[in-house]
Amino acid sequence: MHAAVLRYRVMAYITGVVLIVLCFVGIPLQIAGHPAVANDVGVLHGILYIIYLVCAWILSRKLALTNGQTVILLLAGTVPIMTFIVERWATRKFINPALAAAPAAEPVSR
Amino acid sequence: METPGPAVQGTQGAAPVWRFLITPRWLGWHVLMVLSVWGMLWLGDWQLHRALSGNGLSWAYTFEWPLFAGFAIVFWAKTIRDEFRIRRTGGAGPESAEAASAAQSLPAGLGTTQVQQPADDADDAELAKYNAYLARLNEEVKGTHGKRYGFR
Repeated sequence: MHAAVLRYRVMAYITGVVLIVLCFVGIPLQIAGHPAVANDVGVLHGILYIIYLVCAWILSRKLALTNGQTVILLLAGTVPIMTFIVERWATRKFINPALAAAPAAEPVSR
Repeated sequence: METPGPAVQGTQGAAPVWRFLITPRWLGWHVLMVLSVWGMLWLGDWQLHRALSGNGLSWAYTFEWPLFAGFAIVFWAKTIRDEFRIRRTGGAGPESAEAASAAQSLPAGLGTTQVQQPADDADDAELAKYNAYLARLNEEVKGTHGKRYGFR
């Protein structure tokens, strides 16, 4: 569970940052006539989002999320800033309760 | 409350497990999935035409959209398989289905079967104490994120 949460968080933040760069740097530059950044970062986000999807999916199964919650978690990687909001939401609502309810299943590391 | 007979029989006595697939909520999800997979394949096809007409960048998206469509199909199949497992182990009635989905997220050995009859071994003080502890944990879990089980 801890590993799945960590993988999800790492990918959520990386994907979120890259998407912000794409939308708030790449797109304006593209409109201004320099499409190189948008092209490269766009492809990069595409690749990262694939990894994000897998990590978020695995976490959603471990947390036993409903279909709607799973869709929100997966689609968060396509909306700027939303990864951060959804990560906070998932942490508060599902990840923390799940970690609190199942501490015995994980080896204690301090 | 119904008569205890069918409830004891569990899944055998109730309606077939697959029936949940044709409830309005799940039919809505099926439609959404079909539309989104179709949409993703359509976008992939569009990118293929763009790529063939000279847009080199579109090659990446030509392969990415079908991949997403594949993800959607795999995720959907696994979701339905999980739902079957939850409902099969849960038996009949929403209460046991809820208990089963709670058991999914609990660690091994902390199943809710013990919690459901805590008073059976009332003469064993240690066991009663442990069962009360389990019941409290179960209540805490329900209080914090039990709401989600109702949406399934």
